[in-house]
Amino acid sequence: MASEGVSYEFSVGPVHPALKEPLRLDLTLEGEKVTAVDFELSQVHRGIEWLATGRNPVQILYLAERVCGICSICHMLAFSRAVEAAAGIEVPPRAQYIRTVVAELERIHSHLLWAGVAAHELGFDSVMHYTWRARENVLDTVEYLTGNRISKAMVTIGGVRRDFGDKQLARIGECIGFYRKCFGKLEGILLRDRIIRSRTRDVGVLTRKDALALCAVGPTARASGVMKDVRHDEPYAAYQDLDIKPVMPEDVLGETRGDVYDRIAVRVHEIRQSADIIGACVKGMPPGKIRHEDKSAKILASLLPVKGEGIGRHEAPRGEVFHYIRMAGQEAPSSWKIKAPTYSNLLSWVPMLKGAQVADIPIIAASIDPCMSCTNRAVAAGGKDVLGNDALRRLSVEKTRELRRSGG
Amino acid sequence: MKHLRRSLWAFHLNTGSCNGCDIEAIAAVTPRYDAERFGVRIVPTPRHADVLLLTGPVTRDMEQRMKLVYEQMPDPKVVMVIGNCGATGGVFRGSYNLAGPADRHIPVAVYVPGCPPRPEAILDGVMKAIEKLEEAKA
Amino acid sequence: MKPQALASSLKKSLGNKATAVRVERLVDGAKTSNPVFRIWLSVKPAALPEAVGQLARISPDPHFSVISGCDLGKAIELIYHFTAGYGTRLGESSVSMRVALPKRSPEVPTITGIIPGALISEREVQEMLGVKVIGIPDQRRLFLGKDFPKGVYPWRKDASGPGSLAGSQRKGGPDG
Repeated sequence: MASEGVSYEFSVGPVHPALKEPLRLDLTLEGEKVTAVDFELSQVHRGIEWLATGRNPVQILYLAERVCGICSICHMLAFSRAVEAAAGIEVPPRAQYIRTVVAELERIHSHLLWAGVAAHELGFDSVMHYTWRARENVLDTVEYLTGNRISKAMVTIGGVRRDFGDKQLARIGECIGFYRKCFGKLEGILLRDRIIRSRTRDVGVLTRKDALALCAVGPTARASGVMKDVRHDEPYAAYQDLDIKPVMPEDVLGETRGDVYDRIAVRVHEIRQSADIIGACVKGMPPGKIRHEDKSAKILASLLPVKGEGIGRHEAPRGEVFHYIRMAGQEAPSSWKIKAPTYSNLLSWVPMLKGAQVADIPIIAASIDPCMSCTNRAVAAGGKDVLGNDALRRLSVEKTRELRRSGG
Repeated sequence: MKHLRRSLWAFHLNTGSCNGCDIEAIAAVTPRYDAERFGVRIVPTPRHADVLLLTGPVTRDMEQRMKLVYEQMPDPKVVMVIGNCGATGGVFRGSYNLAGPADRHIPVAVYVPGCPPRPEAILDGVMKAIEKLEEAKA
Repeated sequence: MKPQALASSLKKSLGNKATAVRVERLVDGAKTSNPVFRIWLSVKPAALPEAVGQLARISPDPHFSVISGCDLGKAIELIYHFTAGYGTRLGESSVSMRVALPKRSPEVPTITGIIPGALISEREVQEMLGVKVIGIPDQRRLFLGKDFPKGVYPWRKDASGPGSLAGSQRKGGPDG
């Protein structure tokens, strides 16, 4: 299909913002295998960090939330932590627990979303529909708790914006009950299907050495045996009260290969872990205030004279989110740096994709969970062969069908 | 609308969005909301599309791409902007890297406001887009 | 490794190449309140690779997060954000290395020889602040497109900032 030395441009996007998407992956192929990988990221640059230099911290919360629509609370949380660190603001314990619950609910929605996308890339559309249908339960719960499915707007500087009463806590209990029940089915569908295993075992390997050198984060790093998890290494919020053991392939599968299959396994098991964390938070929810200061105007007034720096980190579904803020005694911060997890995982695509077959490109690219992989276009460098969106995915789907026909 | 006379083939283009609108648009085709029962299909090329589903505030780099995609669509066609960003720039309004809103460059027939709008709102927008298409054909 | 010990080792190994070494202690958590440690230090640009090397020697496989940058008028300050001690519960400390570059010639050596994962961030500070990263294996822009005007640096606060490209919000009028 591909002639020697033909260069393919392959678009994978939209992908994680702050990572700027849609992203373009430029791949060079020799025959059926990838020999070189490059990417272009300018399509989604929105100048968010610069926009903040004209806004106050409360306004920036809502800008931060829209760095990524999939892990929105993550950026609000990391940003808040950075400001709270700079300003010396203490968050009340109840607010910390609520923050943790919302963050873990987001992890469940995000991992299910990813599972659907990964299944779609492999040609298992029914699995995509199943996982996205299953995801609706957590979205309904989030809507019940916060008023919105996607942009939850729960975090504020010094706490959270809404409390959980008994009804809310009961609803959360139902939600995690649902996921605990369907976890077995999810595990069966995604991890014990022989075709999925054939398509993902030893595919897109990221060695432990490369994961460390490239500073990979999240499930991508953990699947390669690198036990990095901010909730464990530098615990914050309610994570300090809980003993979070990062999910590692060694523990859930018995071995670590650093392939796509391991990445699926880590995420699937994290869904169950999130349900457990939420359960523990609901059970141990401390009483008290939900914010250090109720009125936004007072929050802003207290932040205005602050001169200092702060770092806020959070373990988002994709990995470490890092925010740095510098306040210089003015309404707007003088510097804001956002690092999204995919920012740290991008370079991992290079070793993962080298030597890969064309039909495996979609699933390997999707395996770092670049927020959302939907293949756009692949164009041969000469501009002659245009592989449409569907065509590259069709190669992947065809490979799955081949495996089924041949008995896996 | 009394009955649907035609199905709607849609091409989805992200012009730099945060993904919030994109995932709610995709949720609209999953079983719970099931846009496909209205004959709505996401197609892989603008050349087969009746409606362009736009998300995002149109970054500099996406302006040309958006125009090209619009040109590649055969007539009659309509453009539907999903979310606040494509309509006003949303939270990103004022950024140095934006070329939007979308209607500065191409005619937009339907706006679905929200940040992000719910799948039901997106489906409602799709219904309006079908109406507009019928008007365009007549 | 305890943060105080880490900070001391760094200071000792770098001598007067590291200044303003301090360990910031913050409290986080809910019912249990364990401290969170942030180590801050300043190094001269030329000493940066050595400082990173020493960090990697004292605490193997440090995690590099990102480089933040701030236009301070006459100088551009870059902060290289690392963490050390992943994998142990409550064992991680952040280590932030501050480097001040004169605006007339903002140059800093690459650290990709020690931390290949820093490439993305180094490319970003080049295009966002006009910093020259010496020895960087890839000079190209990353987040700014090919058509983005040369000589405009989005994080700068002087005349080379992006103000002229900004939309209506700043100008106070309708789009156009």
